[in-house]
Amino acid sequence: MTRRYLLVKVLYSQELTDQQFHDALNSSVHTHFGDIGFSRIDPKIIKFNQSTSTSIVSCERSAVKELASALALITDSGGTTIAVLVLAVSGTIKGLRKRKVG
Amino acid sequence: MAQILRTAGYSAVGLTIPTGLLPERINSIRQIFQDQGIDTALRIDLGSPSRTELLRSLRRFRNAYDVVAVKCANARVATVASRDRRVDVVFFDPLIRNVRFSHPLARLLHGALEINLIASILSSTDSGILSRLRKTIAVAQEHNVKVVLSSGARTAEMVRTPLQLSAIASTLGLEGAVSAVAVSLLPASIITENAKKRKPEYVEEGVRIIVSSRR
Repeated sequence: MTRRYLLVKVLYSQELTDQQFHDALNSSVHTHFGDIGFSRIDPKIIKFNQSTSTSIVSCERSAVKELASALALITDSGGTTIAVLVLAVSGTIKGLRKRKVG
Repeated sequence: MAQILRTAGYSAVGLTIPTGLLPERINSIRQIFQDQGIDTALRIDLGSPSRTELLRSLRRFRNAYDVVAVKCANARVATVASRDRRVDVVFFDPLIRNVRFSHPLARLLHGALEINLIASILSSTDSGILSRLRKTIAVAQEHNVKVVLSSGARTAEMVRTPLQLSAIASTLGLEGAVSAVAVSLLPASIITENAKKRKPEYVEEGVRIIVSSRR
């Protein structure tokens, strides 16, 4: 199945671990799209870089909008206020790595 | 916040300015955004509780701001704001449940309907907000109403990228192409049109003074 890769920037008030981000993402997708939606979107965190607070998340090609919505609706994780910005979408991880993050 | 907006990919934002703020203060706020390469448009949100007060505010503030938005606090204000040509956008507070965007208002609306997606979703505690937004979008689509998508961000944590706003609207039923226009081209066109109207040579719709350089 073809996948799409999203470059995201995570804004957080306190230190955020990759596990917390993972939980926040899964919880948001489950809350807004349910179990069937989760299986259709199939979100996966490819990489989470704490130093630049960026991450690469992948999903099914047909579900990019759903994943972008779910990421936009994340507001907190384990008591930490977070906001997730989708900066770019690409068909390859290599394509995303070329993008500069401000 | 200006830095985050830049990272999120915005090139222009609408700044909601309270009435009575000194011009020096307004300029200093605009400068902060300009330093990040973001253009600003001054905007006023009129939350008048009555028809008379709304009309008085429109007379007073229309020419001072790039964008005039009206928060529809009740059905009477919503009707007047929808009809009035001086109003650029109308928006509804999700916490006020007795007034919402309906078919009669959609037929009357002259300007555009603004949906503050993130502010609406985050401010509401009940799960029905997504369903109300979906209904609003459905009514707007049925009557071909112009829709402007905005985050309604007051803090940095409420900022989302244009792509995300468009994605949420698409998920809630707005057509893909329309949602892309709603987040970029339409707000820009409102500002451009208003800039034309505020020029001294503008007389009225379709009429402007042309000064010939030759004698």
